[in-house]
Amino acid sequence: MRKNRNGFLGAILVVVLALLLTACGSGEETGDNGTETTSGEGVTETTSGTETTAGEEMVDGPTITIGSANFSENALVAEIYAQVLETAGYPVERNLNVGNREIYAAALEDGGLDLVPEYVGSALSYLGGTPTADSAATAQALADAWADAGIAVLDPAPAQDKNGIVVREDTAGELGLTTVSDLAGHNDLIFGGPPECPEREFCMIGLQDVYGLDFAEFKPLDAGGALTVAALEGDEIQVALLFTSDGVIAAKGFVLLEDDQGLQPAENLTPVIRQEIVDAYGDDLVAALNGVSAELTTEELSEMNRRIGIDGEDPEQVAADWIADNL
Amino acid sequence: MEFVGDVVNWFLSAENWSGPAGIPNRVWEHVQISVIATGLAAVIALPPALWLGHFRRGGFLAVAVVNIGRAVPSFAIMALFLPISIRLGLGLGFWPTLLALFALALPPIFTNTYTAVRDVDPALVEAGRGMGMRERQLLWTIEAPMASPVIVAALRVSAVQVVATAPLAALVAWGGLGRYIIDGFAVRDNVRVLAGGILVAVLSVGTELLLGALERRIVPRGLSRATEQVVPPAHG
Repeated sequence: MRKNRNGFLGAILVVVLALLLTACGSGEETGDNGTETTSGEGVTETTSGTETTAGEEMVDGPTITIGSANFSENALVAEIYAQVLETAGYPVERNLNVGNREIYAAALEDGGLDLVPEYVGSALSYLGGTPTADSAATAQALADAWADAGIAVLDPAPAQDKNGIVVREDTAGELGLTTVSDLAGHNDLIFGGPPECPEREFCMIGLQDVYGLDFAEFKPLDAGGALTVAALEGDEIQVALLFTSDGVIAAKGFVLLEDDQGLQPAENLTPVIRQEIVDAYGDDLVAALNGVSAELTTEELSEMNRRIGIDGEDPEQVAADWIADNL
Repeated sequence: MEFVGDVVNWFLSAENWSGPAGIPNRVWEHVQISVIATGLAAVIALPPALWLGHFRRGGFLAVAVVNIGRAVPSFAIMALFLPISIRLGLGLGFWPTLLALFALALPPIFTNTYTAVRDVDPALVEAGRGMGMRERQLLWTIEAPMASPVIVAALRVSAVQVVATAPLAALVAWGGLGRYIIDGFAVRDNVRVLAGGILVAVLSVGTELLLGALERRIVPRGLSRATEQVVPPAHG
């Protein structure tokens, strides 16, 4: 019986240790003046990358939790927002790479996240609206759609990032492809994209309904990430969904097919923020974020994506460089 | 409660039981990769393990090498092998996952077989030698049967672990029951995620029961289960 009891006590000890370790690992510290931040993995780190303006008063108020979708461009823009707000003295907490829209939009609506960079067209479609290629109209429609949930949509940036249908150069040459419509009739091609693509209007559903495309197979990969690129390069898929501002398209010599039927709506990047945070901080916060949007262009976004995705540079550094150059 | 109702409805709806994305096909894909991975691990691990166990040498080194499969997480093995797999023209989903599952299944089978054969009562082996048995006869007629409870138990444990880990294949565009979990997660369809999880659990338990029954057939009736000292595989 003594042997059993030792085993039992040992098991309890292991369980208690495991619980302690997970509690330590996931703990997020929110400092009173917001100098402590956490990355998405729950590691606490001080923000050494940002400049602290000497003598600047720390702004009092609720912590702004900045989140992003699970791809590097969105995390980059969120990082830019974070650094800008931190420099201005706001208490900021990062929770990047949360997941896709179902996850981060739900978190935004129930208060788990306060601020995310959104794409006006896809976001409006997600909420049940009908986006168009008109950036201002789509942004306004998005603001109207989200107002009831207490979410404010700030000014859209000129920078856009749309879903892009991409093929390799040899495929384009072989089949004579320049536009998405050219894919019609080629029913032996394999299409690769994020797992949610078959249920997305601007992905598989639109390609089937608007363009009448019929692929041999769909391979669920990732959201325009390394897996999709590797699959396209290795001819595991012939057609891929990548993002138009992704530097990898140019770097790998892929061909971005023209969206000749206008399936993809305006997808300007815009800060989307909980109304209660706006109410707490007022016009200065809104001005700070709108200032970022005013300066962000598609070319600059593509360049930053290329630096991170191809050159392997650190997103925090790339964000800091852009802020230093533009703000 | 409504959620439970939704999950029940998911299992009851006919469309989830037909076609390439239906339960039967996904289960078949899942079983396929699990059987191949475990079978391959058994075929590759058993001969050297039996041999080294019999001669009672080289074990420490062999076990250390084999434990790399335990030390490196399955997901990492998949990710590391993926670019190689694409370059070799082996494709995305099947081969990287197979390699990862094979690496997961290998250590328990090898280690337990080696240990069990090595730890057979030396008196029995001596008696066999005294009767004039050759090395191979000693192995097949004395050591292997004596070690068989542990060996078969190790195969069982390995198979169950592989079945439970095979959902990883869905991360690299392959099929199997992981598809429900990954795709459901991508569109935040929690019903689908839970249904996938339930299916994996049921299949794992089913594997355990099936191989348990097989164990009772293979292991000589005279040997009791009390000799079982299976070292479980680490979680990838």
